[in-house]
Amino acid sequence: MTPIRLAADRVAIAAITVVLALVPLTLGGSDHYLRIATLMLIYMAYAVAFNIIFGHTRQLFLCLGALAGSSAYLSVVLVIRLSLSPWATIPLGIVLAALLGGAFSYVSVRRGLGVIFVGIVTLVFSMIFHNLILGLRDWTNGETGIETKGLGPAVLGGGPTSYYAILAFLVLSLVVYHLLMRSRAGTAFQAIADDEFAAELAGIDVTTYKVLAATVGSALLGAVGAIHAYYGGFISPTVYALGSVDIVVLVTLLLGGMGTLLGPVLGGIVFTVLDEAVRPLGRLNVMVYGILIVVLVVTFRHGLVAMLRKRLKIPLP
Amino acid sequence: MIAILLDGIVQGLQLSLMAVGITLIFGLGGVLNLAHGQLAVLGGISTALFLGEGAHPVWACVLGVLTSGVFGLIMDRTLLVPAYRCAGEERLLLGLLITLGLSFVVNGFLDVRYPSVALTLRLPTPSFSVGDITIRTASAAVALIAVVTFALLFAFLKGTLLGKVVRSIMQNEVGAALCGINPARIRTLIVALSAMMAGLAGVVQGLFSSLGTELGNEFTSFALIVAVIGGVRSINGTLAAGVLLGIVNAFASYYIGAYLTLLILLATAAGTILVRPQGLFAFRT
Amino acid sequence: MSVLVGVAEIEVAYADIAVVRGVSLEVHEGESVAVIGPNGAGKTTLFKAIAGMLGLRGGSIRYQGERIDRRRHYEIVRRGVVYVPAERELFPQMTVLENLELGAYASYGSRAERLKFVLELFPRLLERRKQLAGTLSGGEQQMLAIGRGLMARPRILLLDEPSTGLAPFFVREMYRQFARLKREGLTILLAEQQVPHALSFTDRAYVLENGRIRLSGKSSELLGDPEIQRSYLGVA
Repeated sequence: MTPIRLAADRVAIAAITVVLALVPLTLGGSDHYLRIATLMLIYMAYAVAFNIIFGHTRQLFLCLGALAGSSAYLSVVLVIRLSLSPWATIPLGIVLAALLGGAFSYVSVRRGLGVIFVGIVTLVFSMIFHNLILGLRDWTNGETGIETKGLGPAVLGGGPTSYYAILAFLVLSLVVYHLLMRSRAGTAFQAIADDEFAAELAGIDVTTYKVLAATVGSALLGAVGAIHAYYGGFISPTVYALGSVDIVVLVTLLLGGMGTLLGPVLGGIVFTVLDEAVRPLGRLNVMVYGILIVVLVVTFRHGLVAMLRKRLKIPLP
Repeated sequence: MIAILLDGIVQGLQLSLMAVGITLIFGLGGVLNLAHGQLAVLGGISTALFLGEGAHPVWACVLGVLTSGVFGLIMDRTLLVPAYRCAGEERLLLGLLITLGLSFVVNGFLDVRYPSVALTLRLPTPSFSVGDITIRTASAAVALIAVVTFALLFAFLKGTLLGKVVRSIMQNEVGAALCGINPARIRTLIVALSAMMAGLAGVVQGLFSSLGTELGNEFTSFALIVAVIGGVRSINGTLAAGVLLGIVNAFASYYIGAYLTLLILLATAAGTILVRPQGLFAFRT
Repeated sequence: MSVLVGVAEIEVAYADIAVVRGVSLEVHEGESVAVIGPNGAGKTTLFKAIAGMLGLRGGSIRYQGERIDRRRHYEIVRRGVVYVPAERELFPQMTVLENLELGAYASYGSRAERLKFVLELFPRLLERRKQLAGTLSGGEQQMLAIGRGLMARPRILLLDEPSTGLAPFFVREMYRQFARLKREGLTILLAEQQVPHALSFTDRAYVLENGRIRLSGKSSELLGDPEIQRSYLGVA
């Protein structure tokens, strides 16, 4: 990667860190808004994960919530049942998510499944996850869910401490993203996204790189899922449902721009603002998201980052 | 035993009816319609609304199905146009996302505007006997409707020129254009037809239980699964897969419980896609 | 003889790269014209442009004096410009008869009569009329593709490399049928790599190389041209 691109990335990450660090100061001490802002960070992290899996290697994983939820449930249930420390169970959750995601990717690439079939398989997995959670109610409390207040690491207990801890995690994910994309893997991803067949012919090991992207992305999902569980104070199938996680991530990345560094962050900010603006509409908000998706996908497909690149004539990362 | 088998067949026929719309749109338009369940729900809800206005039940159902059809037509002519401009995978993805968004719009709208409207249809006689077996009239009605619909569909596709035109586009869009066929117009016809089949499936569901907005996504998911297992381009396959899954579901639910059965069916679906992506029954269209 | 198809200075591009540039040609009613040239010269691109399957970046294409380069492909077929591609593009899971039936979709007049004509021209197809198109041999598929094209009652038939992959016996047979069609007044535009056949069958020919017309003239004269003989006829 050229020095300028590397520098651009670093500047972007630094800018993001600074801007987001200042956000709590603008919220006037409101706990409510702080929570919203913290959740915004969490969803940005989800988006970074999906960005790696889909934005860069075109693997349509429609099971983001399920992967995150698998990690979360594993971690929480082990903490409750076996009285283990969350610091011990969170890595287990991450490993689970990474294994699942990597497996889906591996089998799909091996079988030569197109984007759509990957989407359907992962969608089916979402349904399996949902029904498993509902069915294993002895362990998971089914539809009612599990309270997680006080179960997790103290740093996720709430308030400004949690915000900054989660911000640190988000920045870490962005750094991982940056390192991944600026490495040889990143170039491979680009080639694969452009034309998988040609990449294969050019000698790129498509299988390894796709599985790598899926595994890293899924591991990240696992981590965010666990963080979401302990910070949120509550887990249930609804928290990790398609309509709660996948849709939000999709809109976020469509807004911000797939395959870009700033995409998840910009998209996350715009989405949160929109979400708040739409809140008084009550349950009509679902309809607004739907309209947003359709409009974005048809007209604004490449997101804010692409648009800003053209307007400002800077190659934003 | 026989009772379970019959029940399974009826369930299966209903599943096939649900799924055939997806197969038609995918095979012809190259678009995976994730708003399929919403089209079914629209059919059911509008039927309920017509009934509420005092319409005769049969007319209400017909109008409900037609409403779905109209909606499908509008969807094809407006929202899907950007997708049709692309080809292959681009079109699939774009179509998928657009219909996904649409499903949210419809869900959200119905949830807010008609939150408590649900369709329940009651037949004059709840059941009748044939020999030793008591048959629910609803089951017989559904089976009859499904069989007639599929028979008509096959007759249309195999027997009429228009049907052959449809099949030709499904088999080779370029070839069809070479024959002077305008694929867009035929596509609109098929999308409208598929929407009506979804609407019919929705109305039919009203015979068994009450059909409300919340069933939309479930519908789509099941339709997708059946369509994929049967071979997402093959109508024969969809019919066969639906009936098979219905029978398996009926027996499995009886012996090992509904919940576990669902998991097994889902796992089978995932397994089928991974092992034989073209579907278990990919016969000729 | 009036000009049936007039191509004027057209440029066709694939992803920004001009594949055909500054090409002009004419086909008169009742004529048969060949376009010869090596692989990748742009013959198929040229044909696809005439058939309305590709857009022009410059120039115009007229059919019976009317511009057709902005029209959709299926509209052009209805006007009588029928394209039979090298890939054939048949309907594999439909029978020979059904494939032919569909070929007549855009045409007027008695389908049965036309079918009789085509089946007479290609008796093999009559024999195999109930067979699925996907199970036919290469030569039979080619015949079916041409037969399907003929069902549309074309004024002009664009044949793209009809002899590709066919055994010599088949090729001779096929050209015999072309000769018959020619006698009946059908205008034919032919792209071929099998130069001897193409030049002996047609009235005039164009040589397309690298997207441009290098030579044109009477086929009989080109046959005798030493350069052509060297490049395309394997004569040292």
